[in-house]
Amino acid sequence: MGTTSEKNWEPKIVAFLCNWCSYAGADLAGVSRFQYPPNIRIIRLPCSGRVSANMILDALRSGADGVLVSGCHPGDCHYISGNLFARRRFALLNNLLEFVGIEPGRVNFSWVSASEGEQFAEVVKEVTDKVKKLGPSTRLVKRIG
Amino acid sequence: MKALKLDRNAIGQWLSNMAGERDIYAPASDGPAKGTWTLLTDYSMPEIKPGVPARPVKNFLFPQPETLLKFSIVPTDPDCCLPSEPEENGRKNVVFGVRPCDARSIGLNALACKADTYYQANMDKNAIIGLTCSQVCSTCFCSETGGSPMGTEGCDVSLTEIDGRYIARAMTERGEELLALAESFGKEVTDSDFSAVEALEERARSGSDEIRNPEEQLRKKDLMELYNAPFWQELADRCINCGACTFLCPTCYCFDIQDETLHGKGRRIRCQDSCMFPLFTLHASGHNPRGQKIQRVRNRFMHKMKYFPDRFGPISCVGCGRCVRDCPVNIDIREVMRSLLNFHDMGSVTP
Amino acid sequence: MSTVNEKITEKIRSEAQRLLSTGEVAAFIGYEAGSLPMSVRPFVARKQEDASRLVWNSFCVLNLANYLPALLKSFEPPRRPGDPPPEGPLPKVGILATGCWSRNIVVQIKENQVDRDRVVIVGVPSRGMVSARKVKEAVGERDIQTCIEEDHSLKICGEGFEQELNRWDVVRDNCKTCVHPDPVIYDILIGDPAGERQVQDRFAQVDEIEHKSLEERWNWFADSFSSCVRCYACRNACPLCYCPTCFVDDSRPQWVGKSTEQTDTMLFHILRAYHCAGRCTDCGSCESVCPVGIPMRLLTKKLNKDVLEMYGSEAGMSLDEPLPLTTYNPADPQGFVLTEKSEKGGDR
Ligand code: SF4
Ligand code: SF4
Ligand code: SF4
Ligand code: SF4
Repeated sequence: MGTTSEKNWEPKIVAFLCNWCSYAGADLAGVSRFQYPPNIRIIRLPCSGRVSANMILDALRSGADGVLVSGCHPGDCHYISGNLFARRRFALLNNLLEFVGIEPGRVNFSWVSASEGEQFAEVVKEVTDKVKKLGPSTRLVKRIG
Repeated sequence: MKALKLDRNAIGQWLSNMAGERDIYAPASDGPAKGTWTLLTDYSMPEIKPGVPARPVKNFLFPQPETLLKFSIVPTDPDCCLPSEPEENGRKNVVFGVRPCDARSIGLNALACKADTYYQANMDKNAIIGLTCSQVCSTCFCSETGGSPMGTEGCDVSLTEIDGRYIARAMTERGEELLALAESFGKEVTDSDFSAVEALEERARSGSDEIRNPEEQLRKKDLMELYNAPFWQELADRCINCGACTFLCPTCYCFDIQDETLHGKGRRIRCQDSCMFPLFTLHASGHNPRGQKIQRVRNRFMHKMKYFPDRFGPISCVGCGRCVRDCPVNIDIREVMRSLLNFHDMGSVTP
Repeated sequence: MSTVNEKITEKIRSEAQRLLSTGEVAAFIGYEAGSLPMSVRPFVARKQEDASRLVWNSFCVLNLANYLPALLKSFEPPRRPGDPPPEGPLPKVGILATGCWSRNIVVQIKENQVDRDRVVIVGVPSRGMVSARKVKEAVGERDIQTCIEEDHSLKICGEGFEQELNRWDVVRDNCKTCVHPDPVIYDILIGDPAGERQVQDRFAQVDEIEHKSLEERWNWFADSFSSCVRCYACRNACPLCYCPTCFVDDSRPQWVGKSTEQTDTMLFHILRAYHCAGRCTDCGSCESVCPVGIPMRLLTKKLNKDVLEMYGSEAGMSLDEPLPLTTYNPADPQGFVLTEKSEKGGDR
C-alpha cells in the first residue's frame, strides 16, 4: 500500500458492498456522475450477511485506514433477512472494537439501496472525512518489517 | 575459575556495568508481564521468586518469531524473490536469574539443534547468569531428571545466595569476562564460603528422590511396549490438547516455519509449535498421522522419555515442573514418568 | 461433620455408580482428585468401579461440557461425510453440570453438537468456584503444599506458613457475578437449588473498562494481553470451540499470524471472543486455564453485556429460545449505522 508521507497522505478505505443494493448504489453514483472521494476500494459480496468479522479485521490488518460495510436497508435484503442477522453481528463487533480501543470511525456501516446513488456518494464522503481526521491506521496493522 | 562475593548493591553495580555492552533481561516479578523475561532498566538486584518464572529461558533461543530471511515479491525489484539476511541490531544479551533447570535445558536442546545455525547463534548471543535454588518447590523435580537445585550446567556465571550475599562463580570463559566487570568491587570468596556452597551441593545430592537416572532405565525398555501401554487413554481422555505444556516447557524445541507476505515484501519466520496441535502433523494431502488426541498426548511424553534418550542419552525434561503447574487438567509428567518406568517391571522383552 | 462438597461428592458417586452399573450410560464425565493442592482433573469414568474416584470441590473450574461433543462422537460408528446417520439407539454419556455448564450444553444441543437424548445431565447447583490464581496471590505467591477446604474457608499451608482464607474472597470473578447458579436443564439434581442470585453490578468489570478513554482502553488491551503465549488453552477449554478447523489454523487466507507479535495476538483474542458472541455463558473456563493470567474473559463478558442490553438475551437459558445471533428483531438497535443516525436526515 505504498508509503504514506505525512503531507499527501490519502486514506485507503476498503468497502464491502452487497451486490444487490449498495454495489448497485455505487454503480448508480458513478453513472449519475455524483462526485465522491477516490479513497475507497470496493469488494463486492453477495450480501452484507456474508461479511464476517474476519474480513473486516483482515482489512485493518493489511493496513486499510478505514473500512465501510454497506448493505440493503433492513427489510429490502435480496435474501430477505441476511442484513438483519448481519446487523446484530455488526453491532456487537462495532462495540467490541471500541472496547479494545479501536477508534470509532475506522470501521463504518451503512444501508444504501440500489436507487440511492447520491446517498452512496454522501456516505463515502462522510467516511473519508472521518478517516482523514483519524489519520493513518496503526492499530491491528500487521508489520513484517 | 573466577569467583566473587557480591552483596545486593554490588549486584546492582555489576548489572549496570554489564548494561554498557549487553541488554539485561530478568523475569518481571509483578504487573501484567509477571513471569515474563523483561528488559531491565533499573539496575538493582531484581526480585526473583523461588521456583521457575512462568516463561522458560528458551524464549531467548527460539525468539517469537525468529526471522530467518527476508525477500521481495515485487517482480520489478531487481532482487525479487532473492532471500536476504534480516538486519540485526548486534546487541547481545545477559539473561539474569536463570534457574538451574532452565539453564540446563539450553544444552539439552542443543543436542537436537546441533545443525541449527540459528540456535547456535542465539546461544552465542545470550549469556546466562544462573541463580541456584534455595527452595525446592512442590512442582520441582530437577534431581529426578539428572539436574540439581544447585546445578550450574548451561550457566556462564552461577550465583548462590548465602546469608543474603551471592557467591558468583564463573563457569565459562564468557562468564569470566562478565564477572571481571565486578572485579573492582566484588569481595573475595573465602574458604568458608566455598565450603558453604559445597554443603548445599552435598545436601542437594543426598535428597530423598526416589528416581535417579531415569534415562538409563528408559533406554532399556522396549519402545513398542511403552507405545502400546494402556495408560495413554486416560491421559488422552482429559488432555484438552492446548499447547500450554509445550509452549512453557524449556525443553520443547519444535517449531513451525511460515512465509508471511504483505504488500510485496515477505519474511520467513519460525515460531514455536506444539505436537499437541492436530496441525502439527497435518499433511498437505489432508492425511494426519497423528490425527487422534491419544497419539498426540503419547508423542509428547514418548519424545521426552524414550525417543530423545534413545537418540541422545538424557531425557528431554529438566524437571522444572511448569507443565505440572500449568496444565489445565493436571496431567503430571512425574506420574507419566513413573508409569513408564514401572511399566513391565519384569524387564523389557528382547525382540 | 462432612462439608457440603463431601456430601455432593457422595451423591455424585452413587448416581454415577448407578448409571454406569445399569448400563444407562457408557461413560460419565466428572472430576477426580489431582496431584497438586487446589487441582482436580477431569475424569471419564467408564466402569462402575471408577465412580468412587469422582470428587467435587471448589476447584472444578474447567467446564466439563467441553468434553461432551467429542466423547459422544467417540461412541458412534465411524462415518464419512455424506454417510447416513447411524441407526438405532447410541450409547449415552452422563455429565455433571452446574448452572453455566448446563447452559453450555443447551448451546451445544441447539447447535446440533449434542443430542439431548444421549446425555444424562446430573445437575449440581454451583456455590462458585475458587480461582487458584487469587489464592496464590493471597499467600504472596509462596509455594503452596496443601489446601484444605471447608465450607467457607480454605486453609493454605506451605513451607513456614499457614494461612486461612475466606472462601468467597477467592471465588472467581465470573462466579461472583453469576446470577444463574442452578442448572437450567438436568435429569437428576444433586443438592438444593440455590435460586437466582441478586448481583448488584454484574458487569462492573466491563463498565470499568468502558469508562476509560479510548487511549486507556487500547493501552489496557495492549498491556494485559501482551504476555499471551498463544497456547490456545483458553480456546480449547471452551465448550463453544468445537470447529474442526479453527480460524487461527486457516492458512489461505491466513486471518491471524502465528507469532506472538502484538497484532497477531490481538487479532486472535478479538476473533476468539467474537466467535463466542451470543453463546458464551461466562463459565470462566478460559480465564481459569490460562497459564499466564490473560483476562480474555472480559472480552466475552463485554459481548454478553451487549447481547443482554440490545437483544435481551443470555446464552443457553432455554432449549426453546433461539440463540441471539441466529435470530433477529426488525426493531433491533442500529444507531451505529451511518445512514440511520437520527441527526442525518434523508436529504441534506
Ligand atoms: S516436560 Fe514439564 S517439567 Fe519437564 S522440562 Fe518441560 S515443562 Fe519442565
Ligand atoms: S497442558 Fe495439559 S491439557 Fe494442555 S496439551 Fe498439555 S497435557 Fe494436554
Ligand atoms: S468464552 Fe470462556 S467464559 Fe465463555 S463459554 Fe467459553 S470458556 Fe466459558
Ligand atoms: S490467553 Fe492464555 S490460554 Fe489463551 S492462548 Fe494466550 S496464554 Fe494461552
